[in-house]
Amino acid sequence: MRKNYALHGAAFSLRHLVLFALAVFWLIPIIWLLFNSFSEFPGLNIRRFFPDGFTLANYEILLFDTTDTVARFPVWFMNTLQIAIFSCIISSIFVLMVSYAMSRMRFRGRRTLMSIGVILGLFPGFLAMIAVYFILRSFGLTNNHWGLVLIYSGSSGLGYLIAKGFFDTISETLSESARLDGATEFQVFRMIIIPLSKPIIVYTVITAFLAPWMDFMFARIMLNSGIATDWTVAIGLFNMIDRNFINTHFARFCAGGVLISIPISILFVIMQKFYVEGIAGGSVKG
Amino acid sequence: MTGTLATIERKNPFRVILDFFKGIAVDFAEGGLFVKLSLLLMGAGYFRRGQIVKGLIMTVFQVVIIFFAFTFAAHYLSRFGTLGTVEFQPVFNPETMRNEFNDFDHSFQILLYGIISIIVLTGALFIYLKNIRSVRALEVRAKQGKRIPTFIDDIKSARDEKFYITLLALPCIGIVLFTIVPLVVMISVAFTNYDQLNMPPASLFTWVGLDNFKVLFSDSITDTFSYAFGIVLSWTLIWAFAATFSNYFLGIGLASFINNKNTRFKRVWRTMFIVPAAVPQFVTLLLIRNFFRDQGIANTIASDLGITDFLIRIGMVPAHLSYIPFLTDPTWARTMIILINIWIGVPFMMLIATGVLMNIPKELYESARIDGASSFKQFTKITMPYMLFVTAPFLVTQVVHNINNFNVIFLLTQDLYRTTDQMLSVSNAREVDLLVTWLYRLTQEQYDYKMASVIGIMVFIVSALFTLLAFNLIINRNKEDKFQL
Repeated sequence: MRKNYALHGAAFSLRHLVLFALAVFWLIPIIWLLFNSFSEFPGLNIRRFFPDGFTLANYEILLFDTTDTVARFPVWFMNTLQIAIFSCIISSIFVLMVSYAMSRMRFRGRRTLMSIGVILGLFPGFLAMIAVYFILRSFGLTNNHWGLVLIYSGSSGLGYLIAKGFFDTISETLSESARLDGATEFQVFRMIIIPLSKPIIVYTVITAFLAPWMDFMFARIMLNSGIATDWTVAIGLFNMIDRNFINTHFARFCAGGVLISIPISILFVIMQKFYVEGIAGGSVKG
Repeated sequence: MTGTLATIERKNPFRVILDFFKGIAVDFAEGGLFVKLSLLLMGAGYFRRGQIVKGLIMTVFQVVIIFFAFTFAAHYLSRFGTLGTVEFQPVFNPETMRNEFNDFDHSFQILLYGIISIIVLTGALFIYLKNIRSVRALEVRAKQGKRIPTFIDDIKSARDEKFYITLLALPCIGIVLFTIVPLVVMISVAFTNYDQLNMPPASLFTWVGLDNFKVLFSDSITDTFSYAFGIVLSWTLIWAFAATFSNYFLGIGLASFINNKNTRFKRVWRTMFIVPAAVPQFVTLLLIRNFFRDQGIANTIASDLGITDFLIRIGMVPAHLSYIPFLTDPTWARTMIILINIWIGVPFMMLIATGVLMNIPKELYESARIDGASSFKQFTKITMPYMLFVTAPFLVTQVVHNINNFNVIFLLTQDLYRTTDQMLSVSNAREVDLLVTWLYRLTQEQYDYKMASVIGIMVFIVSALFTLLAFNLIINRNKEDKFQL
């Protein structure tokens, strides 16, 4: 009996030791980011993991110093925020409209439209982007934030699947009885389905809002003028650790990374709960 | 998600098209004077029935389309066959004393606006023919003595039984403009010679048929494209499967390890893994890339601990190097990319797996325990089959996502990895490139749009073949699956 206890104790400690080792392994880059953002040495410290001295200067320069032409963090932040807000509004509305139509209404061509959506999703997004670039350029919308808003939100209707999965779970009897009472389809949508769909609306809004903060590829193609004040946060931070700047700006890059991570991780934590529900819920029904 | 592919129209599409035209012909033949007049003036049938507003809208539509067809569309479509013949030339204008341009043809504009014209005119033709049917239906209604809906009624129906049209109109226009038109244009470019030597506005490009595809598959010494394509395609496939399945199984493993009843502080552990996932990917990737540089902190630590010397001794690092080429040697870089991707992806998979694991019916484990199954047996016989069943569609989309996973490869290797393979670098490819990053570099660095488009089409073919195969497999398997209740 006693031997059994000892064995259990050993297994118990081992289990937590393994978890601890894994957690440390996963946190190393984050710790490195955090410590480097307070480093006194502005460049990439390749001798030691932890910085030699600590300072708040990196954050201070990043936020308040307008003489540093490489790091225009507040401008980038406002640019990205503006793009994110507008593309979030358009995308969320588009996604909710398409998913409601596909989930709750039956009409001719519905399945054909859904199949077309699947097929379009199999093309690499970048391929279309080359032509979109030329189209937007002929309208003078490259190096322009409205052009980016259009890119992020234009085709957003294609991303309707998770929201559709949610609408599918709302009982049909509710809308049925409303219709019997003389409600139009629009009233069912606005007064019954939307109030019941808070989780999926939160999910849709946050994903749409986060996309411009995370995107690198499209922004890099669209904002190619080389004017730092035009950029989004992702492009700006990438440029800061370019070969020419890394030795003077690596610590500031880390500070920027930390600053941008705080709001994004808060939104991410709120969103991931719904994301899991979407994946798990949506697939069970098939 | 399975539903979408399984429900591809089973009706023969030719039958549908044939029926459409048949219906119009019958309606036209049986219709009265105003139905026949509608072929000339689209609003005619509506005016006859007193639907003035609708009649006006249709007439204005008709005028606009005819104007569009004879100006814009005619201009670009007449040049569509050649994609332009007038070369760009500077012309000296004696009046302004400046060099100006002649009225040259811009091949890309001709291609783009030509395709837009074709799409608009096809849509207009459809509405034009459909108009006959609506007008005839109105006529039948009138003859039966039923009430003719007013314009107000039409608006009301747009918020009721026709609400889906209201909902889908704007998003569909967005998809057509920002996905379908660009895709058709880029697919067309694959059949032209649009590259650095034939770049508008300075010069013209034209149709070349299947020549670019021949280059991709020809096996000559001068064409390095087929060689590069073979290497990049095989790495893309290895990467897509390795990245998807490593994340999948390790994520599930981690989730069940934390979920196990013997683990304390479950929430704390979970949070520790969520923190790295919450930091934006481009920040972590750019960070890790500098962590593993040839002259970076990882190499300093490895060298201090004697790992570098050890690896040189056993031959895993070439002897002429004094560092570990984490991201600069083909084999090392490929391995590191997959490992780094595990670091990035496992927390996400853990989150998803945790959600699914909680949904597994507890009775399954209960009865397994009574039958004396070990926890390992429970994992392989209950947890894994259930997970596979629930997440199979997710897994398929994940493989397609990884085939197109631009960020990880680009941010880890751009400007850092250089290929030593001459044949590859001639085609502007590298051992670590995926088809999509190769596509990106071909357009952004080489302006080789024709080959980039060919590769884009190849990505589509690979993804489509895989998706079709996988979904057929899932659908057949699911029929006898024990979890389907």
